[in-house]
Amino acid sequence: MSEHHKETFLTKYVFSLDHKMIAKQFLITGMFMGVIGMLMSILFRLQLSNPGESFAVLEFFLGEKWAPGGILDPNIYLALVTMHGTILVFWVLTAGLTGTFANFLIPLQIGARDMASGFMNMLSYWFFFAATIVLLYSLFVESGPAAAGWTIYPPLSALPQAIPGSGLGQDLWLIAITLFVVSSLLGGLNYIVTILNMRTKGMTMSRLPLTIWALLIVAILGVLSFPVLLSCALLLIFDRSFGTSFYLSDIIINGEALHNTGGSPILFEHLFWFLGHPEVYIILLPALGIVSEVISVNSRKPIFGYKAMVGALIVIAFLSFIVWGHHMFITGMDPFLGSVFTFTTLLIAIPSAVKVFNYLATLWRANIRFTPAMLFAIGFVSTFITGGLTGLILGDSALDINVHDTYFVVGHFHIVMGVSAIYGMLAGVYHWFPKMYGRMMNKKLGYLHFWVTFISAYGVFFPMHFLGLAGLPRRYYTNSAFPMFDGLSDINEVITFFAIIGGLVQLLFIFNFFYSIFKGTKATENPWGSNTLEWTTPVERIHGNWPGEIPTVERWAYDYSKPGADQDFVPQNVPLKEGESEH
Amino acid sequence: MSILVGLIILLSVIVLVQILRVNELISEVKDQDANEITDKDNNVQGILTFAIFGVLFLGFVLWQFKYWGVHILPPASSLHGAKIDTLMNFTLGVILIVFFLTQPILAWFSLKYRGRKNSVAYFYPHNNKLEVIWTVVPTLILTPLIIYGLNVWNDITSTDTGNSKVIELYAKQFNWTARYAGEDNTLGKANYKLVEGLNVLGVDMEDTTAQDDIVTREVHLVVGESVLLKMRSQDVIHSAFLPHFRVQMNCVPGMTTQFGFTPTQTTAEMKEQEGEDFEFVLLCNKICGAAHYNMKMKFIVETQEEYDAWMASQETLKNTLTLN
Amino acid sequence: MQLNLKKNKASKQLLWIGIVSIVMFFGGLTSAYIVRKAEGGWLEFEMPIWFTISTVAIVISSTLLLFAAQNVKAGKSGTSLLIGTLFLGILFSYSQIQGWGDLVAQGVYLTGVGSNASGSFIYAITLMHLLHLIGGLVALTITTIKSKQGKYTKDNYLGIQLSSIYWHFLGILWLYLFLFFTYS
Repeated sequence: MSEHHKETFLTKYVFSLDHKMIAKQFLITGMFMGVIGMLMSILFRLQLSNPGESFAVLEFFLGEKWAPGGILDPNIYLALVTMHGTILVFWVLTAGLTGTFANFLIPLQIGARDMASGFMNMLSYWFFFAATIVLLYSLFVESGPAAAGWTIYPPLSALPQAIPGSGLGQDLWLIAITLFVVSSLLGGLNYIVTILNMRTKGMTMSRLPLTIWALLIVAILGVLSFPVLLSCALLLIFDRSFGTSFYLSDIIINGEALHNTGGSPILFEHLFWFLGHPEVYIILLPALGIVSEVISVNSRKPIFGYKAMVGALIVIAFLSFIVWGHHMFITGMDPFLGSVFTFTTLLIAIPSAVKVFNYLATLWRANIRFTPAMLFAIGFVSTFITGGLTGLILGDSALDINVHDTYFVVGHFHIVMGVSAIYGMLAGVYHWFPKMYGRMMNKKLGYLHFWVTFISAYGVFFPMHFLGLAGLPRRYYTNSAFPMFDGLSDINEVITFFAIIGGLVQLLFIFNFFYSIFKGTKATENPWGSNTLEWTTPVERIHGNWPGEIPTVERWAYDYSKPGADQDFVPQNVPLKEGESEH
Repeated sequence: MSILVGLIILLSVIVLVQILRVNELISEVKDQDANEITDKDNNVQGILTFAIFGVLFLGFVLWQFKYWGVHILPPASSLHGAKIDTLMNFTLGVILIVFFLTQPILAWFSLKYRGRKNSVAYFYPHNNKLEVIWTVVPTLILTPLIIYGLNVWNDITSTDTGNSKVIELYAKQFNWTARYAGEDNTLGKANYKLVEGLNVLGVDMEDTTAQDDIVTREVHLVVGESVLLKMRSQDVIHSAFLPHFRVQMNCVPGMTTQFGFTPTQTTAEMKEQEGEDFEFVLLCNKICGAAHYNMKMKFIVETQEEYDAWMASQETLKNTLTLN
Repeated sequence: MQLNLKKNKASKQLLWIGIVSIVMFFGGLTSAYIVRKAEGGWLEFEMPIWFTISTVAIVISSTLLLFAAQNVKAGKSGTSLLIGTLFLGILFSYSQIQGWGDLVAQGVYLTGVGSNASGSFIYAITLMHLLHLIGGLVALTITTIKSKQGKYTKDNYLGIQLSSIYWHFLGILWLYLFLFFTYS
């Protein structure tokens, strides 16, 4: 039953307790930050492919201080790279992805009126909003935003004398991240408790859509791993602001010998990557969940191997806790430890492969409907295969020696996160837009957006593997200091070319998104012929989701093209026919 | 200028909006849903998917190997590096086989099973036998890969470096300094508090083993002779990256790390192979500040005689740092 | 009633999972402690007597809180026991600060010349515990005020249950930290 309380603009759009509105707040903030993060990458790509050349656009966006004469300052180059990584990993692919879809889908797909605590949910967004303000503010401080990489290894991130961004910019970064982690934890608590407690009658765990399984596991991952980032950041804050020596030892900077002894930057790396690695699975798993749903609905077939898919998610999540050392193979760690991490890292390939084969099996003998969402989902499979395979090289400690911190890594993680996970997010937006806004996004613009993005993304990131195998390190302001890299300028130009095109076409998506909110053709209740419960809610969306009773669930979510059924889909709340067995 | 750009953006948005409105009006007139996915759409998109995922993309990958593969580093110039190269080739082979099997299947299925109004999909929810197969097969492929990889790693990290020539690489913002351990093959103790004036490495000259240490700004190695590089840093984390030798190790302030290897080709040989401009070089490979991209030191691999001649012209710390 | 039970169950679960997160936070910090200690150059020193007083204070405060909850469950008022808990909580906070003073007097500093990671960790970790405890004091204060206003009945005293769970957790966490620092 929906509550009858007078809604003002503020209570409806700003301080909403409704999970659907909070989801959209996360989405729009995430999209906004995505545009900023993407713009940063275009700015520094211009510098990389045309070193020393003047670009008016650089001076336009960065001002005379950071791009004097249209040439990027090296310190700001590193700041852009740092903020690009921070914004995309945390703000877009974590909050923008999980924040949107967990909030939107969980109550709807499990059959609940709202989250367990609407208040905590609202707080989760406002902490995220506060984190965003702090981070954006750091872009404008005198000494520049944080510049020690999104991985902020000390001592570089601890000493303002080492790089200007490690002054106020880094303080603000740390504050923003703390607020961000609180936001994520508040959200995660809600997701877990809601899924465990508030499922409608008949919605057993084994009838949950895969999207919900993925979001549940992601929430658990977050609750266990994000706090360790806070531990890590706390000790860094102490080293920076109170002169302790957790991470610092034997340092002379700018001619001055510091008093710190006994600390170890490697300790930072262990604590950081203990979150850092699960973090990338926190990014990937929601995308896997969304893709499972989108592929199944648009193939008009059940997702192949539901149980195995759930199992694979659980195994991937578990393994993600014991592989973090593969980011540290060349730190001089005990070789035995290196062996252990190689072993566990390469093991992750197995459940990942199972998922890929299950996606292929779902497409086999399907009746594929190519919506823009489906194209992005199929694109996800392609890029997940590509990016996942190069992981086999990086996860192997002996091979990592020569590719660590080169463009090979940059290519790998962009293809799995910056492409695959983003494709999952875009698939989700296109697919659930009718339910979010009651209107359809424009199909033709969607097709154009997909194909230009798909071609550009591979055009940007595949060549990077060759740069890496040529020995080119990452986070280099320019390659022109080493003659051995002179031959690579062609590749860099191609990359920048596709980066600009790929970046620009996202504006088309944003246009389509906002245009469709106001002028899109009105949607029907279930435009995709989907089985999950969210498609039984009215198009106009109400508090409490269903006007009457919440539907009872009678079957799993994947009865598509089931023999003996009247249509090629049977929603979850349709009772079994006489003699019909549940899958 | 910005006003012009702003106007162009505004105009583009207006034009786009009008195009979409017209598009929808036309559909309304035709009594069609502008956003419905028709058989024609599925046909076009299915063919496009096959063409781009299956042909263009895979063709692009092959094209890159052909035209950009030349940039891949030449075969390793070190003993352990050769082992890494073999492992890499083996792994790449496995990866490329899997890649060129799975991607075409994805593209082919997208084409073959593109939707038609009268088609019905095949209700096939699971097959446990298949799940087992495609769990076991990847495991069978990965197992030798893992064992092979661990073997090479073990080889590299357990090489006996007892007789290796010890050379220190000292990293700081933004250059490298090398220190040879001299006749006694033992580096003199160092402490960051002793860095002053000419003593850029903070060597403790009271330590007798420091007397014969030699500080240089480029590194010469004898071909075939094993060296043990010991890394230190003065300020932030740097990383000693010698890509031609397949050597990489972080330089961490507060600790000493190390990596041992044996060069197998002289610079002269490499110049013949790769061109006159070739040099072995040390790069920094861990973000360390503004000039991270410009920390370099030359490495020269030569014969014993050439090395001895060069060494003879170097000064020990006894001579450069202590007052005689 | 049904809705209330569900809300109660959900609230407790939310709190428990939050506690798991806090455990991971302190787990990260104590792991860092262990790793750093193993590297050597570690200053050994005695725990200040005030930290023992802290331990006694927090254990007694939990006991009082337990009795308060039992009282309310039996239909009686728990207000005075809650006030007692609050008072001991404030005593705990006071003894923490005194403990830090003792450490300084002993020559164990957070930072600067003569400081050592072993000292830095103790300050940092106990400070974090205290900050979480202040949150607990806020919760307890609200609970005490509501109790005084008669808002709790024997069928609905969720606020007391939630404050209790969190407060007992803080006590157990302190015990763990105290024993960890003393014996590791």
